[in-house]
Amino acid sequence: MAGGLQDWKQHKRPFAAIAGAPLFWLLLFFLIPMAIVWLYSFGENAGPADIAISGTLENYKRATEWLYLSIFLKSLAVAALVTLICLIIGFPVAMAITFASPKWRPWLLLGIMLPFWTNLLIRTYALMMLMGTNGYANKGLGALWEGASWLRTLVGMQPLEAWTPVQLLYNNFAVVLGLVYVHLPFMVLPLYAALDRLDKSLIEASLDLGAGHLRTLMKIVVPLAGPGILAGVMITLIPALGAYLTPDLMGGTESQMIANVIERQFKRANDWPFGAALSFLLIYAMFILIALQSMRRDKGREAH
Amino acid sequence: MALFKRTPVAPLEYTRKTWMRGWVGATMFFLYAPLLILMIFSFNDSKRNVVWKGFTLKYYEKAMNNDSLVEAMVNSLTIAGLATVFSLVLGALAAVMLWRFRFPFKGAIEGTMSLPIIVPEICLGVAFLIFFAKISWPTDLPWPLNLSAITIAHITFCFPFVAMVVRSRLESFNKEEEEAAKDLGASEWQTFRDILLPHMKPGLIAGALLAFTLSLDDFVITFFTSGPDTITFPVKVYSMVRFSVTPEVNAASTILIILTIVLTAVALKLQGVKAIAESH
Amino acid sequence: MDFKTLLDNAQNRRSLLKGMGVAAVGLTFTGALAGCGEKEAKKLANGEEAKLNFYNWDTYIGETTLEDFKGASGVDVNMTLFASNDELFAKLKAGNPGYDVIVPSNDFVERMAAADMLMPLDFAQIPNFEKNVAPEFKDVPYDPKRKFSMPYTWLSLGIGYRKSKVKGTPDSWKVLFDSDEYKGRIAVLSEAGDMFRLYGKYLGKSVNGLTEADIKTIEALMIKQKPNIKAFHEDNGQDLLLKGEVDVVLEYNGDIAQAMVEDEDIGFVIPKEGSQLNSDNLCIPKGAPRPKNAHAFINYLLDAEAGKKITETILYPTPNNAAKALMPDDYKNNPVIFPPADVLAKCEYAKFNPELQAKYEEAFTRVRAA
Repeated sequence: MAGGLQDWKQHKRPFAAIAGAPLFWLLLFFLIPMAIVWLYSFGENAGPADIAISGTLENYKRATEWLYLSIFLKSLAVAALVTLICLIIGFPVAMAITFASPKWRPWLLLGIMLPFWTNLLIRTYALMMLMGTNGYANKGLGALWEGASWLRTLVGMQPLEAWTPVQLLYNNFAVVLGLVYVHLPFMVLPLYAALDRLDKSLIEASLDLGAGHLRTLMKIVVPLAGPGILAGVMITLIPALGAYLTPDLMGGTESQMIANVIERQFKRANDWPFGAALSFLLIYAMFILIALQSMRRDKGREAH
Repeated sequence: MALFKRTPVAPLEYTRKTWMRGWVGATMFFLYAPLLILMIFSFNDSKRNVVWKGFTLKYYEKAMNNDSLVEAMVNSLTIAGLATVFSLVLGALAAVMLWRFRFPFKGAIEGTMSLPIIVPEICLGVAFLIFFAKISWPTDLPWPLNLSAITIAHITFCFPFVAMVVRSRLESFNKEEEEAAKDLGASEWQTFRDILLPHMKPGLIAGALLAFTLSLDDFVITFFTSGPDTITFPVKVYSMVRFSVTPEVNAASTILIILTIVLTAVALKLQGVKAIAESH
Repeated sequence: MDFKTLLDNAQNRRSLLKGMGVAAVGLTFTGALAGCGEKEAKKLANGEEAKLNFYNWDTYIGETTLEDFKGASGVDVNMTLFASNDELFAKLKAGNPGYDVIVPSNDFVERMAAADMLMPLDFAQIPNFEKNVAPEFKDVPYDPKRKFSMPYTWLSLGIGYRKSKVKGTPDSWKVLFDSDEYKGRIAVLSEAGDMFRLYGKYLGKSVNGLTEADIKTIEALMIKQKPNIKAFHEDNGQDLLLKGEVDVVLEYNGDIAQAMVEDEDIGFVIPKEGSQLNSDNLCIPKGAPRPKNAHAFINYLLDAEAGKKITETILYPTPNNAAKALMPDDYKNNPVIFPPADVLAKCEYAKFNPELQAKYEEAFTRVRAA
């Protein structure tokens, strides 16, 4: 891309016009409220409803114990898996929307978004109704099993043993499925936004030169859609890390995620300072990642 | 033959390829199967709505007569609409700012701009709760101003998502187009409006859809910023968990889905009719 | 991409945005029109506005109670909802945003009283208390002499089970806590405090008398039992039972009684080691803008006829003897809703203890991560 970044000093007026509003909003309605909670992370409970900011580091010490770090790592692994699955499922869907005729495109977009305008709780309950031990998925699978068994007797073989329902809920499988279900549009939308600008003649050229579709995909489309993929990954991974409703409802005894622990500190345990410390450790880690990535990206652009 | 007027599938028309259609179809099935269950069970004659007991329309009646449910839904839609509009503006501006300029502490500011996405919702909710309490934000304003606290909170956590999506879209912008426009005499504002904005459009659409979805279904932050007079749909539904999520809620959701589809169809039809009229 | 296709694409996207914009505007107008009929605040004889903000659990009120109260007193009750005590407490912790009457459970009454968040009640404005409330609820360990709260309902924890899948009556906590008889068909509460206290009951101790050593023992027991448990439910165990996901569940008697209406194959029993009692109460938070209306409302809810209507809807055990007398026999004599006195004698209220609560939470996090 030709042209580097403009220096703000040389373009003060446009800069002020563009940057003023977002920065002001961020300061007033985000940094200040978060600063209060940040101060709490250095405090402790002084009575059931008051918090004394005593400058203690106890909360952070406790938050870095192996117990909580292990939960955090496990949550990260689950979130990464969910993001990967969303990417694999979502990329073809985003491509389908991009290459669809203009008549169908808004409908496809709407089609992806519409389920997500239904309330999450009801959707999760409906999903659980499908996946339960006596749910429709199991009923369907059971019917197939019985059918196969009956076919076998027809042919003279031994019938299959009795059908026991598959445990689709209350385990990690359910949590991953549920999270993929919730986060799919968060992956599709940025991918679509990036793919849409793809210069189709490049793909045509590649195909003309003899590369197969898959190779074209890997070598041309994916790199050009890079920023979109990155945005999609960030928008999916980070909320997935912070999800607590789906693991709560659909998870089993093994499925405790870090967001559940943080939620409990703010609610049941009434330990806001500790909850704040846990939250901020999460925030510091991600913040550093994103700041590093931003600096790398700009250095790359300067080099042009 | 005119009977079988199927044009052969061009190499780039991926959407017409069978495997692609199959993939998208399977994804749609996965997404909509629970929704169908939800709609079917809105006719279920059972208070707890766990097992199918019989067909009835009484919950639709109840839903439409339930003032608080309707009010909750209107509130949610209003907040989502307002939050989307403001988030679009703020997010687009933020994206352009980050993409175009070099300024001190840029890395830190970019990180800070992504923070609302990273912060656990409950932490953000509590932060807003204390913030609004400490500055004594008025809680008994008339509608729709009483939704202001919730809306502000929603805008705050929605606009970074928009910024991220629009930013990735801007990465593919060819600066030469902008320079050409300037050479031809366009002012800053004209360049922005006629060159940059159209390029950002898919990013803006995607961002708007994202922001709307996030706001409509938000529970945690809304719970902490809502007052005695402001009930929203997710908060109402979540509070039903203790006793029973009656089919009433399913009925209300079904009505919302159908309403959205109808409205969009109407909008698109109008657009199509206008185009035909214009082309004559 | 040529100019025409660019235009076409832009048209379609714009139309989508337009469609949504139209929808949003249209609904905003409908809402505005609806909100236009806003109630003007009139002043009552007691000097307060004819309004009341009631913060309650969902469907935890009679079908017509609020309208009846408006007819009787002219006060317009605005009921908003919360889903758990923690949410109520977290919301009010930063200050009262305008609620007049709230409905916390017993341990939260203690907690909020300790945090100075409740207004002492004026008994002169609540004559129904003396008249209608059962004697055992007039003075309770969690609120001596009823300084801050009035009883609304009461509950007890126990074992809900599916009769056809269970041998005999599972009348000991061992079934849930210490045996693999129903492996993978068990669900228990996800609330750390309740779980630890009930384990304490199983070990033969009082719910409020657990020591550090006890907590360690119980933690080990829980980890040992975890493979047999299917889920830690958030107070919707009766749904799991109804759906057939589990066959034995730790739940409140009121919830199971409601489930029994839908499915006759469900039973309930309070284990022989004893159990924990709960009670939901009506309180007035500090800073309530309309305390006189609040007192009048609480008094109305304790009335016999109004209480009967409430109980008919929610089917929970009621501490209101006058209302209970008006209910049909199958409610009054239901052993699930009103357990026999000898069983109740072994049940206790949980006491709010901040240090122990923190220890329970930490230990339970360890159990869940194990």
